[in-house]
Amino acid sequence: MTITSPPAATPLTPGEASAGGGLMRRLNLLTGLGGGVGLALVGFLLTHFLLDSSGSYFSDRVTTLTFIGWDVGFLLGIGAFNGPINWARGRDLSDDDALFLAGKDQGKSRYWRYCTDHKVVGVQYLIMTMVILFAGGALAMLIRLELTTPNGDLFNAETYNSFFGMHGILMVAGLIVAVTGPFGNFIMPIMLGARDMAFPRLNALSFWLLVAAAGPLLAVFAIGGISDGWSTYAPLSIQDHIGMDAMAVGVVTFIASTTVAGVNIIATFITMRTKGMTLERLPIFPWGVMISSAIGLFAMPFFAAGMLLLLCDRTLGTTFYLAFGGGSDWLWENLFWLMGHPEVYVILLPGVGAVLEIATVFARKPLFGHKVVIGGMTGIAFLSVIVWAHHMFTTGWAPALNGPFMLTTELISIPTGVIILSLIGTLWRGHIWMRLPMVWVFGVIWNFIIGGITGIYLSDVPVDNQMHGTMFVVAHFHYVLVGSVLFGAIAALTFWFPKVTGRFIDEKMGRIAFWLMFLGVQITFLSMFAAGLAGMPRRVAGYAKALTDSNLISTFGGFVMMAGMLVELYLIVICWRRGKPAGPNPWHAKTLDWQTPTPVPLENFLVTPVVTSDPYGYGESTTPVTETTNTTKKGL
Amino acid sequence: MTNENKEKQGKLRWGELITVWLVLTILTVTGSLTIIPHLMPRAASSTMHLNILTVVVFSVTAAPVGSFVYAIAAYGLRNWRAGSGDEPPADGPPLRGNNVVTIVWIVVSTFLCVFLLVWGLAALSSDSSAAANSTFKVDVTGQQWLWTFHYPGTSVTTESLYLPEGKTVTFEVTSLDVVHGFWIEQMGVKIDANPGEVTTISVTPDKLGTFDVRCTEFCGLYHAFMTTQVHVVTPTKYHAWLQAQQA
Repeated sequence: MTITSPPAATPLTPGEASAGGGLMRRLNLLTGLGGGVGLALVGFLLTHFLLDSSGSYFSDRVTTLTFIGWDVGFLLGIGAFNGPINWARGRDLSDDDALFLAGKDQGKSRYWRYCTDHKVVGVQYLIMTMVILFAGGALAMLIRLELTTPNGDLFNAETYNSFFGMHGILMVAGLIVAVTGPFGNFIMPIMLGARDMAFPRLNALSFWLLVAAAGPLLAVFAIGGISDGWSTYAPLSIQDHIGMDAMAVGVVTFIASTTVAGVNIIATFITMRTKGMTLERLPIFPWGVMISSAIGLFAMPFFAAGMLLLLCDRTLGTTFYLAFGGGSDWLWENLFWLMGHPEVYVILLPGVGAVLEIATVFARKPLFGHKVVIGGMTGIAFLSVIVWAHHMFTTGWAPALNGPFMLTTELISIPTGVIILSLIGTLWRGHIWMRLPMVWVFGVIWNFIIGGITGIYLSDVPVDNQMHGTMFVVAHFHYVLVGSVLFGAIAALTFWFPKVTGRFIDEKMGRIAFWLMFLGVQITFLSMFAAGLAGMPRRVAGYAKALTDSNLISTFGGFVMMAGMLVELYLIVICWRRGKPAGPNPWHAKTLDWQTPTPVPLENFLVTPVVTSDPYGYGESTTPVTETTNTTKKGL
Repeated sequence: MTNENKEKQGKLRWGELITVWLVLTILTVTGSLTIIPHLMPRAASSTMHLNILTVVVFSVTAAPVGSFVYAIAAYGLRNWRAGSGDEPPADGPPLRGNNVVTIVWIVVSTFLCVFLLVWGLAALSSDSSAAANSTFKVDVTGQQWLWTFHYPGTSVTTESLYLPEGKTVTFEVTSLDVVHGFWIEQMGVKIDANPGEVTTISVTPDKLGTFDVRCTEFCGLYHAFMTTQVHVVTPTKYHAWLQAQQA
């Protein structure tokens, strides 16, 4: 809740104030689920009896409308439309209502509600992200189990194909929100010196849209799965069963969520900075989150558009992707990769921002080349939207463009290299405090070099002619997505855990989780590079017998990673409840998030901070924050 | 922190840093030169020779770059560590950046980029010049989950591919249903089969033997098993085979 007007400016009588408040205060996750299931049922029955002439309960139209019903019903039930409904009735929420929405004095029940406090939203995102990532991780283990033997004999083909498709979409969705969701929401506004996000109700909306999206995405399992891979290339995805309709509705809902979140983050970044927080003084983490959101705003709608056209092809008889009707599968591929490559940087940049932030604190040094890194991130943002066709070198779409796309893709290694320079420059001659978050940062350095450099191989057309569609590609992007982004996200979690929960993650067990994960990644994916070089295609249940050894090693490594993640999960749960207590600034960091009390109070700051220098004055004699008392806040 | 530690952190031992860098570089270069050609399929065309060479060249180029970052990280872990206790060590030196280092870094990475680009473009043009000389065509059709090969000018249609050694062939590739990826693993030939479109790719097989065709675009239920063989035979044998098929 932002404070923009004093109480006297609210022209509501007490009677009006309570009118909107009564029902609103009874809504929570349960009413949301009820509303979702209710409207899904309505959609199901209506389409079945009115629209569907075939009489099938499980046609594409029935499934699509059922899940659209779920989306709308869930959002109604959770209370997402309370504001608009009140406006339509000529009312606005009273101050009391706004404070209720912000979760004032509600204890833990606010985590189950449509809550506008950015810290509650951050924690909600954190839990949701972990649920999604663990669902995706379980699927990864099933995939590795199947690949233990070359024959494809464990699961039937359809089940297996569904596993890697669902693994892909869940992991991509989970990683898009993995850093931005929890820490972009919880930490970033405090870093800016803001009392909340620019649009707190949109913030809550973005989270509950994610939960709404998880409904159809997880329901895919129950209704037969998807057999297309997460890239769902048309026309294969037009052939597919009704699971594809659920996935399409889920993806469109998810993109609505990222778009709402992206707009909110950019607006917060621009308008909510406190006095003295100039762009040059702004820490690097908010920059990473903001630039990532900006790329997402450009990129993600292409996927939504592609999915909507796909739904039209599946339910309305259009032929956007069907050659016999004048369409083209290349249309899908272009729309998909126009999202698909920028999306990689949407995932990467918040993690990079967090890693750089952590490096400064634990090397006890200023960030190396602050402005250069911001320039590098901006360069990545611009280049990221003109590299997509490197995924299409071997599709035959536009052979004449292979050279130009090879150029843009190789160019992106220059700004990415600048970020690496800043990272090692920050470590350079530092006094490295080897606490748990820093351990993960060193893991990121190791993995990101391997993941990044193998990406340059693939940008080269002759190499891509051999490697496209093989396990080499899979190993490459797992080094980036797991080895760099997930490691970065865990570093961020370990780093900000004391601020979120008031407790430390245990250092000793944390190191066990780290080493299991680190070794697991090396074993799994180095071996997968070997399988890819030797010619193993991706998305297969069976492979040539000569590749048995490398696959066996990968499977073993996969289970080592699983052990690491289970230790990490156990740690998070245990330390959240009983971890060693931490003070408000246990790392002696200088950014504003560490200058607040723990637990962070509603509206974050007891007094509005005024910033006089950037937060990287390690070894310098500057005071980063001067606190003043002339505040205009209320409600505490 | 003891005085000895301060001393240790204050001075940079360039010898140690450079030694680590050189050792790592030599290890990765040796690995690239030996392991990669060993792992990749034995080449059955000049295209594939070039592909393998490119992977090796990229690895050798990348080796000193990656090793440089690793050397600094390793050196830092050894020499700049200042405890892991509850209290942070004293602040490090306030280095906020270094224009010379940044500019050198950007210039070097740009130079490497240009080198890789020129290499890639040269490889591309050598591939396309081979294609221009080709008059021998084979129609390739993908469908779930089968490849068929038609030899234009004849009535021959087969499910495994026969090619004469040493003659440049252009594949005209299409699909009857969904997107498939036509890949001859040992020849570095890869092009998608798209419904309603014909895509082309050329190659000159330069080795006798049997090679593998795989599908590299996910195409549904039995994608993993959409495989067949390429038989590269002498031109005489090829013509005899073609005659026999038509008879």
